[in-house]
Amino acid sequence: MKDAFLAAYPIMLGYVAIGIPCGILCDSIGLNALQVFILSALFYSGAGQFMIPNMWLTGAPMPSIIASVSLVNTRQMLYSASLAPECQGAGKLLSFFFAATVTDESYGVSIAKFKEGGWSVDRALMVNLFSQSSWALSNVVGVFVGSLIDIPLAIASFAMTSIFICLLFTQALTTPNIIAAVAAVVGVYVCKLIGLEGAAIIVGAILGVACALGASAIARKVRS
Amino acid sequence: MSWADFWIILITCGVTMLICRVAPLVLLKGRDLPDGVIRALNLIPPAAFAALVANDIVSPGMFDAGLWPAAAVICAALIVIVVALKTKSLIWCAIAGVASYAILLLI
Repeated sequence: MKDAFLAAYPIMLGYVAIGIPCGILCDSIGLNALQVFILSALFYSGAGQFMIPNMWLTGAPMPSIIASVSLVNTRQMLYSASLAPECQGAGKLLSFFFAATVTDESYGVSIAKFKEGGWSVDRALMVNLFSQSSWALSNVVGVFVGSLIDIPLAIASFAMTSIFICLLFTQALTTPNIIAAVAAVVGVYVCKLIGLEGAAIIVGAILGVACALGASAIARKVRS
Repeated sequence: MSWADFWIILITCGVTMLICRVAPLVLLKGRDLPDGVIRALNLIPPAAFAALVANDIVSPGMFDAGLWPAAAVICAALIVIVVALKTKSLIWCAIAGVASYAILLLI
């Protein structure tokens, strides 16, 4: 429990910083505290919970909101696949609840802890639940404070960017990892260039994995 | 947004999200995975974190508003990289990132 909290608190603080502005935004399209809480508890997606009110405000039709939000969230499939080997020994129900509450940030913390060793799925689930509690509460606080406080979102969300930078630069400096990272950045840029913003993360990440696998295969062929 | 619209969005987005979060893990769990698949799975963390970082700070129009707002983001990111390599600490990276970005934007 204590280990899980120590692993989760950087995420929890980050979620306070962006959860309050998210609640304020949801309040501005007429969602009440209960709706915001249900959304945070059952849907639980930072990117999604910003997209829904933002698209609603631009008057986007419902099917296009649903399609765009779902497309952005397809990247979760990569985290799910990546965590599968770590759940090998865990029970079905535990694995289900763990998988169902993974976010970008908690995936990063959990996979780092699993690779370090001495980590378990129940502790990883606790990290998810701590993070989710922080997210849900901050969103509800955002609804109540409304526009009383003004958190500059660009600066607050840089806390998340910083967490991803930390996770990236604590990866092992191996050639395949470097190729994967560089190709992923290129992939994201190209996606945005051709107007595929919503799919940028998953396409970039898959391109990164594919390039690194390809490069390793070529290297093995050359050596043999 | 009415309660009806709210439920439609919650249920549809919630279901697609749950499938994306759970299905791959359920399909792969308990199987003997070939080496190639394990190698691919091990490459997901560096590729995904790089994609998340790039998604936050790189875009074709990033220099449209002039050199500075974009350069401030890049400078703050470089500071966070140094902190990450020195401390390996998520919380110090988050604090250093937010503080340096805020200060750089004030300049």
